[in-house]
Amino acid sequence: MLRATDLTKRYDDIRALDGFSLEVTDGEIAGLVGHNGAGKTTFVEVVSGLVRPDSGTVRIDGRTPAQVRGQIGISPQHIALYRSLTVREHLELYGALAGLHRAALRSAVDELAHALRLTGFLNRQTGLLSGGQERRTQAATALIHRPPLLLMDEPTAGADPETRQALLDVVKQRAAEGATVVYTTHYLNELSDLQATIAVAAHGRVIARGSAAELLNELPGEVRVTGGGEDVRVCTTNSTATLLEVLRERQQPVESVELRDPTLDDLYKSLAAPHD
Amino acid sequence: MTESLYRVGVLIKYNALQRLRDPSQLVSYLVTPMILMVLFRPLYTRAIGAGRVQTVTGQLVMFSVFAMAIVGNAIFMEREWRTWDRLRVSRAARAELLIGKSVPVFLVLLFQQFVLIIYGMLVIGLPAPRLPGLVLLAMSIWGFTLMAMGSMMATLMRSRGDLIVAADVGAITISSIGGTLLPVSLMPGWAQAIAPFSPGYWGLAIIRSAVLGNPAGVLRAAPVCLGIGIVTGAIATYRLAHGWGRSHLV
Repeated sequence: MLRATDLTKRYDDIRALDGFSLEVTDGEIAGLVGHNGAGKTTFVEVVSGLVRPDSGTVRIDGRTPAQVRGQIGISPQHIALYRSLTVREHLELYGALAGLHRAALRSAVDELAHALRLTGFLNRQTGLLSGGQERRTQAATALIHRPPLLLMDEPTAGADPETRQALLDVVKQRAAEGATVVYTTHYLNELSDLQATIAVAAHGRVIARGSAAELLNELPGEVRVTGGGEDVRVCTTNSTATLLEVLRERQQPVESVELRDPTLDDLYKSLAAPHD
Repeated sequence: MTESLYRVGVLIKYNALQRLRDPSQLVSYLVTPMILMVLFRPLYTRAIGAGRVQTVTGQLVMFSVFAMAIVGNAIFMEREWRTWDRLRVSRAARAELLIGKSVPVFLVLLFQQFVLIIYGMLVIGLPAPRLPGLVLLAMSIWGFTLMAMGSMMATLMRSRGDLIVAADVGAITISSIGGTLLPVSLMPGWAQAIAPFSPGYWGLAIIRSAVLGNPAGVLRAAPVCLGIGIVTGAIATYRLAHGWGRSHLV
């Protein structure tokens, strides 16, 4: 279980974290969304132990990040691979550093290479990989030792649909096995696919937290009625009642009726809009 | 302890693989001094008494200082490729990371000196050292000094461009003022006065003393080389352990 409480971190005049709190339970995938500069990456760096917060605490199963080094799998936002090492060598390096030996290491490499569709280019140097292959390789280095805490910072940025799906499948599987996952992304449909809970970050703190259904319940949907040259759109939290009211008062013939439920995109726009 | 040794072994293996797959700098710093030794030998043998020793040890020390760039690149690459933070999140302790990074580049520096000494004996006519163990000790001490200086340089530079300029200008300055091109006794008075402040001076002193079988000379230069190595190594270690930029190890 991950528990981050009231984290703050400043870089000169910039408050990267400003009271950032988040709890993620075992087996949960927490989708962390927010605009660039909302504090997502700094949060990941603090939880992984790379950055010391100015104040606040991080506990992973009751221990500090420094005490659980090696039990965290991190896939950073930027590609961080050795251009002259092959995909297999990367997996062996990070697997061995996490304590995997010989047969266990070989088995873990083969299994993950198959799951993330890396098998065809395991012996290729990463400097020669495509963008999607690099993404999968980087994610694999975070997953190789089956860490109980996974920090995936925009792992599918710029990735093709095949890469994205392969990665999402593995992340879901790891969560099902009990791993705690923090998954930052700008692709909200991925969070639906992962059945993730959602934390919306803005200005260095989490401003909304819950399941997608809970958060969407608080948002208005849209009722749209067209006909007779008119196009009426009404935002509402009770679409049925609103539709009946619109139809009752309407003088023109009705050609089409559309009820649109709020989406994660609406949620993102409503909560995480950057302030000037 | 066993796990720690295992991790260090793994780090050494993969760092060594990277060095082996990018040998161009090493080849350059082997071939160039070999050519210069052949060209300078007639000049040095006519101009000074121990011309062959100056030819070999001068070029060896000068291009071993240039080889600091290999150390610098090996470290700077971790920053440029953002891989150092990945390692810092792993189970490997700081000391393990530093040893794993240092051993391969140290071996590269030793290999370069070893090859140039052998070349000097076979092609230039350098007399075979009477005390090979002393030569190995001197090369190891000088290799440690170079590794530490190269590491410090890499951790203080902001860009690869800065690193290249610092390595080239630093190598020329350190080695030439230290007497690798022209013996210190033949340099202008002001240069003779500042020569002992150059690490190259002490590098040349320790290597030349070892080649000539002079343990007292090695003992005199060794503390200075080790001192430079410890100070610059401490700065590099601090920078590496605490990350670059905004990262800070907890």
